[in-house]
Amino acid sequence: MTENLKIIEIEVLRYNPESDQEPHLEVYSVPFSDDMSVLQGVQYIKDNFDGSLTFRWSCRMAICGSCGMMINGIPKLSCETFLRDYYPDRIRVEAMAHFPIEKDLVVDLSGFIEKLESIQPYIIPKEPRSLDQGEYIQSPKQFNDYIQFTSCINCTLCYAACPQFGLNPDFIGPGAIALLHRYNMDSRDGAAAERMELVASEEGVFNCSAVGYCSEVCPKHVDPANAVNINKTNAAKDYFLRFLSPKGGAK
Amino acid sequence: MSKRRPYVRSMEGWWKKNPYFVEYMIHESTALFVAGYAFVLLVGLIRLGQGEAAWNGWLEAMQSPLSLIFHLVFLVAIAYHTYTWFKIMPITMPPIIVGGKRVGPGVITGSGLLAAVGVSLVMLVLVFWFGG
Amino acid sequence: MEIIKTDVAIIGAGGAGLRAAIAVAESDPGLKVALISKVYPMRSHTVAAEGGAAGVKKPTDSLEYHFHDTVGGGDWLCEQDVVEYFVSQAPVELTQLEHWGCPWSRTEDGHVNVRAFGGMKIERTWFAADKSGFHILHTLFQTSIKYPSIRRFDEHFCVDLVEEDGRCLGVVVIETSTGEFSLIEAKSVIIATGGAGRVFRESTLGGIVTGDGMALAYRHGVALRDMEFVQYHPTCMPVTGLLFTEACRGEGGYLVNKDGYRYLQDYGLGPLQEKPKNKYMELGPRDRLSQAFFFEKQQGRTIEHPTLGSVVHLDLRHLGEAYLHERLPLIYEMAETFMGIDPAKQPIPVRPGVHYTMGGIKVDGRCATSLQGLYAIGECASVGLHGANRLGSNSLTELLVFGKVAGVEAAGNAKSSAPGNSSNLLEQAKAVEQRATELKTKTDGTEKIAVIRKEMAQTMEEGCGIYRVEKTMQATCDKLAELRERFKRINIDDKSSVFNTEWLTAIELDNQLDVALSMAHSAINRKESRGAHQRLDGYEKRDDVNFLKHSEAYYVAGGVPRIALGDVKITKSQPAERVYGAAGEKADQERKESHD
Repeated sequence: MTENLKIIEIEVLRYNPESDQEPHLEVYSVPFSDDMSVLQGVQYIKDNFDGSLTFRWSCRMAICGSCGMMINGIPKLSCETFLRDYYPDRIRVEAMAHFPIEKDLVVDLSGFIEKLESIQPYIIPKEPRSLDQGEYIQSPKQFNDYIQFTSCINCTLCYAACPQFGLNPDFIGPGAIALLHRYNMDSRDGAAAERMELVASEEGVFNCSAVGYCSEVCPKHVDPANAVNINKTNAAKDYFLRFLSPKGGAK
Repeated sequence: MSKRRPYVRSMEGWWKKNPYFVEYMIHESTALFVAGYAFVLLVGLIRLGQGEAAWNGWLEAMQSPLSLIFHLVFLVAIAYHTYTWFKIMPITMPPIIVGGKRVGPGVITGSGLLAAVGVSLVMLVLVFWFGG
Repeated sequence: MEIIKTDVAIIGAGGAGLRAAIAVAESDPGLKVALISKVYPMRSHTVAAEGGAAGVKKPTDSLEYHFHDTVGGGDWLCEQDVVEYFVSQAPVELTQLEHWGCPWSRTEDGHVNVRAFGGMKIERTWFAADKSGFHILHTLFQTSIKYPSIRRFDEHFCVDLVEEDGRCLGVVVIETSTGEFSLIEAKSVIIATGGAGRVFRESTLGGIVTGDGMALAYRHGVALRDMEFVQYHPTCMPVTGLLFTEACRGEGGYLVNKDGYRYLQDYGLGPLQEKPKNKYMELGPRDRLSQAFFFEKQQGRTIEHPTLGSVVHLDLRHLGEAYLHERLPLIYEMAETFMGIDPAKQPIPVRPGVHYTMGGIKVDGRCATSLQGLYAIGECASVGLHGANRLGSNSLTELLVFGKVAGVEAAGNAKSSAPGNSSNLLEQAKAVEQRATELKTKTDGTEKIAVIRKEMAQTMEEGCGIYRVEKTMQATCDKLAELRERFKRINIDDKSSVFNTEWLTAIELDNQLDVALSMAHSAINRKESRGAHQRLDGYEKRDDVNFLKHSEAYYVAGGVPRIALGDVKITKSQPAERVYGAAGEKADQERKESHD
């Protein structure tokens, strides 16, 4: 695999908080073979040209969710994006959009993690069940209601695709709302009402203007836009039902 | 002391950075045409309420060459809005299950567009039938 | 240096670490837990496990069967009392995970489904499509958020343990985003850092699988046990090593050589079966399948691919596109994305790759190490479950069963012990800080991290591959000693504090070199063939007289590891010939009759 190596130019957005005022582009000429991913391209740079180039990565098989980057302006997992598809043009690699840049291609994810923690992403049982009673029974329909929304790998590409998150970093955002929806839709869970306050809050679903790009870039076909928009309907329904209920609209 | 200094990039001109966002902005701005035409029809309704002369004046104004150009522009914009509206429709609605299988996004968009074309045709026929 | 006081510190937040954290929180909500991970928990390598988790489920199955499959599969190097406890707890823990929301695949009537797996007599592998590890990890991570007593230290790298009077009393960590050190004082410490397979070249593993926790315990005098047993998974993507799960074969996939011949029938796994049959053919154990590849290659019957090298074919075509999408969606996607192959139309080129370290930090059946207050669980530990060869789908369950045990034990220990002398511990932590910082700040280095890492992986593959001989193993030991020396002269380009991954990679490499040394020396010392350790230099047979023993590697500062032999706990399964296919069925029958 080392013979007939072609050379591709990779332009990387660099930012070292300890020496740079702002990010700048640097270009590297990287020899590559057809099976090399963009991740392997930046690894090559780190191993051979500049050990300080910084990025996250681990599994190499698009399941750990570490290696999201903007590749020619599009949010992608760099491990499953291949250099051959860009050659002979120059390829530009940047940190995921809309997040603060920590260093080079690494973004600050602490905000996302807080959001994920805020949505009560765990089963709050509708009917408690002891272990001796065995598993909960779920019909194929009940299973299909939520399974798609379990596939999120927390890569946050959907946030890099969401201009509303860019404009308002407090927006809970597509990934976390998709996870919230996953638990709401699970027949074992009974806490949809508890989660509603957050759904309808100022940080909630109504920040979404249905751009839909989040679902477009999702590497696992979770369709977070769908989750967000279904919850707009749910929140609206909830609001009016509460309004009509005997106790009135006050919460 | 932490040496962290996370860099926040500006969102200025964000919608020009990606063709998908450009399309989104066009879609959103064509909504103004929908609202605009609703306003035109509303004016017509008001004129109708003001008596026959006012109504006929409004009808005449609608038939001026300038108005026709105006209508053509509106038609294009609203058609584009309709098309993109149905294009994002699948992500905005709960899954539809038919025969145990989820209806695909293509089918939803397709049926939406088909319905829009159908309704438009019915309107045209009605206009020719009663209007002619 | 910041000092944080906690009750239980857990290093590693993969499946095992998360399960342990939850167990501590549930056993006493008043105990503080520090859950430390060098990555965000959902990046941990548990995420990449595909096939599933073993636990008796069907009425036709029994704990007894699971026990015998595991002990036989491990070539009788398992701690049998540990296996007995494990199989009894497996179904309980898997049900617990279901209650926490794990989306296990189900049967039409809504119960959890099970699939066939290599070396298992009855279908007992609980699965969530082919993303079982992903779902287990995310379920545990999300569930852990429920417990306020668990404080996470995400992206914190653990550099060392601190101890006092033979008790482990805390850890020293670097916060990746700032490069700053903290001392986390704890009364109990649990290591759950996963395996060390990245010391090899072609592996299924993520970049983070660098054996950090093993090296930590090892340098503090705890033995690394059975380190020579490294599992090669038979069906990996050539070059990258990415995994095609055993479930491909459990669902009915074939392995064929260049003649389209299902060669496993020639390796004691026959006769040929049309449908997947447990413990026959493609559902034999991993060590045997990887060894069969080696011989096929020697006989010139592998396919010589122009860019991928020697491969055999994993043929899934007869399963049909719809079934593959339902049962093996990730595999489908990987074949398409990474290899440009539609597995419903073309066979997938595969070969064995390094997948799992059976050995690890020596612990007893309650996960305690020889250092008081220190526990270890999961792939980094050797609790004695896997012996000389792990059966696929036992390890995901191991995370749960022993994660819970360690959590309960660590909680109990924390409640009954007094904290250490803080100033003494801080002194140690400062020394650790100084040592680790020097690695980065020194300017006279010439060696490159990438070069040493590459040479290490190369020599491990040569000396500690599927088949081993004394000469190359010795060469590997020598090479590793050379690399150990050269590591002292490494250069780090990045001198900064914030998110300095080059520096952390160097610390990982330091850990890897120690772990690699323990593997190579344990291997050369084992003069027999057993499970995943196979020799071709006069020790081709299993030798129960001399080597029905665990290898125990002890760290010797500045020298080569000292290897000792430890006893194996045998309760009810006496070592016998390890047979599969028709011969295996016959042996099973005989065992059953002798019991009746």
